[in-house]
Amino acid sequence: MPSKTPSLRVREAVVFALPLASLIVIWQLVASLDLIRILPFPADVGRTLVNLCRPTRGGTPILLAHLGASLFRVGIGFSLAMAVGVPVGLLMGINKHVNDLLHPVLSLLMPVPTLAWVPMLLILWGLGDRTIVAAIFLGGFFSIAYNTAGGVRGIDRDLIRAAYTMGASKWTLFSRVLLPGSMVSVLTGLRLAVGYSWRALVGAEMLAAAGWGLGYLVFAARAFSAANVMFAGLIVIMVAGYLMERYLVGPLEKRTVQRWGVVRA
Amino acid sequence: MGSGESIAASATAKLEARHVRKEFGTGEDRVLAIEDIDFVVQENEFCVIVGPSGCGKSTFLYLVAGFEKPTAGEILLSGRQIEGPGPDRGFVFQEFALYPWKTVLGNVSFGLEIQGMDKKEARRRAEEYVKIIGLSGFENAYPHTLSGGMKQRVGIARALAYDPEILLMDEPFGSLDAQTKKLMQTELLRVWAKTRKTVLYVTHSVVEATYLADRVVVLTARPSRVKGIVEVDLPRPRSYTDDEYLGAREKILGLLDEEVVRAFERETSQAQRTDEGPAT
Repeated sequence: MPSKTPSLRVREAVVFALPLASLIVIWQLVASLDLIRILPFPADVGRTLVNLCRPTRGGTPILLAHLGASLFRVGIGFSLAMAVGVPVGLLMGINKHVNDLLHPVLSLLMPVPTLAWVPMLLILWGLGDRTIVAAIFLGGFFSIAYNTAGGVRGIDRDLIRAAYTMGASKWTLFSRVLLPGSMVSVLTGLRLAVGYSWRALVGAEMLAAAGWGLGYLVFAARAFSAANVMFAGLIVIMVAGYLMERYLVGPLEKRTVQRWGVVRA
Repeated sequence: MGSGESIAASATAKLEARHVRKEFGTGEDRVLAIEDIDFVVQENEFCVIVGPSGCGKSTFLYLVAGFEKPTAGEILLSGRQIEGPGPDRGFVFQEFALYPWKTVLGNVSFGLEIQGMDKKEARRRAEEYVKIIGLSGFENAYPHTLSGGMKQRVGIARALAYDPEILLMDEPFGSLDAQTKKLMQTELLRVWAKTRKTVLYVTHSVVEATYLADRVVVLTARPSRVKGIVEVDLPRPRSYTDDEYLGAREKILGLLDEEVVRAFERETSQAQRTDEGPAT
């Protein structure tokens, strides 16, 4: 891969920062004109962010504690969704009977908003990590399973025939043709699932968190009409989701499908 | 072709198709693709199948490859009946069918690795075939960086690398431009002269068939039968303007022309019948 020249890096930074900067300018403008009553100034939100990052008497800064709780839940929920969703999707893609069996069920369950499950989960497990993790799992599972299944089914039949001609067993076909062949779709599923996981997390935390989590932070701030804190929480959620997508799925993509030229870099 | 003849020929027969029939679908949707194909490919022979488009020549190659099963009749490779796909046959696809996530070398060594060859040895063998096919220097390139002609070189190297008994080629140069096609035909003959592999090659191009083949099997329009077999006993490399070449070409074209017309007439009469109302 050619190394980037400094001027290209600057260009990239500008392209990345310009829309964000514009957004902040618009925000400042809207706040100055007092168009939305509760909208805080960007600078105030920034100050709140800094304050929330200061260590408290307990040692850990409040924001980090909330972020930690959320990351822990997303980490587990997303991993579970991946660990179950990819194999289920592969099975559906490989085996017509499995697909016929599961497809209608998944089609029925998929449109149910993740948060609609939370009341039931609350009865089952009450407030806490288990309920939230389950919601994240449900949020990510479907897109992973569906995309994986579609990816396997979309593999060129000649690639499968070629493998059989060369003497491939079912297992070889699976591990060395179907799995890499469906990678583009698997990654798409994972990428979508990162977004869905965070949405599910924040929603579930508002309903089911006991004391910690970014969703809880935003929701609890309502009681004090602390719009600064709400905005600070939202910004942390955005950045965390973005970083997770970029540094989890991104490198996987670079190392696989981009190198193979299956997708454009 | 009498059965006595095919038994006599089986001394050196590599591939024997015995009254092969292939139907697709059931009931109303049933389509008879192949009515009766019966011929023999000799060891080390370069045999080309030509036929009007849609005649079932690729279907026949799929039967030989084991991707499909014949409805009746049998196909024998070295006397053993073909039950499914397997590494005793190499297949070259029209659209190359290279694994995009594997390098040139990875694609070529894949068959060897699948068959349990030690990775180092597989690599060495693959390198050898990459060299034979004229792709030295591109060992670590990914397929998407290669031109169509180069891709098919990889396809051929991949099929040859694990030393199958017969090479099956399904219009392998059909998607290449005319110049590249010509070059690849010459290259294929060069490699073939080196390996002396038995080849069964499907094309719709009579020019190509006459240029490549020891023997050309002409199929009828669907449902296909063997219309005739033309020996092309000419030294290689052949000239496209040579009288003998042109003579052989005319002979094949003569057989084929009738079938192309027949296929056309059948299609149009079928269209008329459906125009006149529902078939009873």
